[in-house]
Amino acid sequence: MTKKIKLKISARLLKKRVRRQGFGGGKHCRFANNPEQAALIDYKNATFLRGFLTERGKILPSRISGTSARYQRLLAQAIRKARVMGLLPYSSPNN
Amino acid sequence: MVKRYEALVLTVPTITQDEAKNLENQVARLVADHKGSLVSFERWGKYRLAYEIRKNDYGVYFLIRFEAEKPHALLEDLKHLFAVKLNDLIMRDMVTVLNPKGSLAYNRPQSLDEIPVRESYVSDRTESAEDMSEEELEIEKD
Repeated sequence: MTKKIKLKISARLLKKRVRRQGFGGGKHCRFANNPEQAALIDYKNATFLRGFLTERGKILPSRISGTSARYQRLLAQAIRKARVMGLLPYSSPNN
Repeated sequence: MVKRYEALVLTVPTITQDEAKNLENQVARLVADHKGSLVSFERWGKYRLAYEIRKNDYGVYFLIRFEAEKPHALLEDLKHLFAVKLNDLIMRDMVTVLNPKGSLAYNRPQSLDEIPVRESYVSDRTESAEDMSEEELEIEKD
């Protein structure tokens, strides 16, 4: 039985293991345990939030930026507020 | 318990100083009427908007901060004052609650007024520079 379970490692876990070993440690959130950085998340701070947008103006997924779920939520809220106020784009023209 | 609020207001780029002053007075009067206190009224300056709003590429931001004990009526009145349909100057507004113990420091993007001279602004800037030098000369004469 134990052997069978060992064989059943999912592809996702395998990838995870490869990434951990391959690229020197996993992702880390730049806001967790870092109140100074976390305080920068604010809808008025558009220059900072711009770093969390793609070229087309979409919100950068946390799987790319490594932001933890909690701060990704706060970031997304701030970005959406800034968009309403015209500080950040909803989408950028593709040129 | 006193609550602290913050209102960011986006106005048309053509807003004059008188109109801005008028807006400040209106807000100040409203806040005073409801026994609150105005903490600050700041002009951020002119900004290029991320997208066209009411066919304007540019806009001027104002940040208003105030405190109030029983804010419901005040917020309702502010809503009427800022109402986009009724106000020709204001394009967007956003009122948020601030942490009363938190610091008032914040970061904002650089406004066009602060960015060093660009070609389209050169003519304006040189004119104002000339005005300045004339004034200075007059002072020296005195």
